[in-house]
Amino acid sequence: MASSGQTARTSGSRIAGVVSCLPSRRIENEDFLDRFGDKVHEVVKMTGVRTRYWVEDGTTTSDLCAAAAERVLDRLGWERGSVDGIIFVSQTPDYRLPATSCVLQHRLGLRTGILAFDVSLGCSGYPYGLWMAMMMVQTGAAKRILLAVGDTSSIMNDADDRGTALLFGDAGTVTAIEATVPDADPAWFILGTDGQGADNLIVPGGAFRKREATGRLEGHPLDKLFMDGGEVFNFTLKAVPSLIRDTMAAAGEGVEDYDMFLLHQANAFMIRHLAKKAKLPPEKVPINIDRYGNTSSATLPLLMTTDRADALTTGDCRVALFGFGVGYSWAAASMRIGPLRCCETISL
Amino acid sequence: MSGFYEELAEILEVEPDQVTADLRLESTSWDSLAVVSTIALIDEQYDKAVNATALAACETVGDIERLIAARQTESEA
Repeated sequence: MASSGQTARTSGSRIAGVVSCLPSRRIENEDFLDRFGDKVHEVVKMTGVRTRYWVEDGTTTSDLCAAAAERVLDRLGWERGSVDGIIFVSQTPDYRLPATSCVLQHRLGLRTGILAFDVSLGCSGYPYGLWMAMMMVQTGAAKRILLAVGDTSSIMNDADDRGTALLFGDAGTVTAIEATVPDADPAWFILGTDGQGADNLIVPGGAFRKREATGRLEGHPLDKLFMDGGEVFNFTLKAVPSLIRDTMAAAGEGVEDYDMFLLHQANAFMIRHLAKKAKLPPEKVPINIDRYGNTSSATLPLLMTTDRADALTTGDCRVALFGFGVGYSWAAASMRIGPLRCCETISL
Repeated sequence: MSGFYEELAEILEVEPDQVTADLRLESTSWDSLAVVSTIALIDEQYDKAVNATALAACETVGDIERLIAARQTESEA
């Protein structure tokens, strides 16, 4: 057993297409100068974020995901009635109840009677979602699944906290997963948790636990995001290099066997540091946080559609994906992807 | 620790020759971003992950060095 987490193997399914949807409102670093002055440049030096896209008031993650779903269904030529399930992975759902996946089932005109559920995960959500979808296909519960993954963190940003206000962007994505021949190349997953870090990246208010604004939360608006960047960075330094190593070991592959290593776009400084520490060649570690910010659960599919669409639509690539953060929760996947019939970025 | 001091000087935005064990961090640009940068620096140079809260509580460069030394003893034990 890998020390990093639970190891899983699935077979008999593959990714057919991925579409990411960004809001059209682009926010520049200059827009923060009035509030934070010169400190903006220091923050940018660390995070690497130059622009990010934020939703307009009233737009939610499910709006972005619905647009992405429409596009992926059209491009793949999938009849609405042929989809057997929809999973919505997000920490910014439409409602406390019902599940946003139910709302999306109806909105997209999918069959009644399909399976649908929400999963509350952030940075680790995409590899987790792939594991769930591929496992569902393997068990025979579904042949075609839509995996909707995204967040609109801008809505819970603390505008006065320069540590987070400039970092996050919004995006919604949909990945289509389909059944393939049972003995096709397997996908490998490692999934792990350390809830000791729950308080280091948290929106304490808005659900059912009543928290006081005391201790580190003193003066912090409870319905806004609180992040202890140092502690979260510490966690990634400890967890991610071994996660990368264990994932390759589980799949029985070496660094040279992979076409790309997709790392959660947490912040540019951290990605470069982790890649160097894990001895990954920089050209195999794309970075797009400069253009889109940290889009939470959406960073990995967004990275596929913005920076690796050519490779993924033309070739058969061996890809490793790593999500890590809020929870703390982490998940990694190693699989062959491509040639995808659709891999694109749209805007709403 | 000369390489470490040079890198630390860049993080603290001071001249390298100003970095001594007695340097008070509050007189430099020591803030949450500097803490994260220093965690990365220590990881790179000593392959040690120091506790962020403990690092943030350091008052002098000497405190940081003691934290690294303690971490080394701990992991050797």
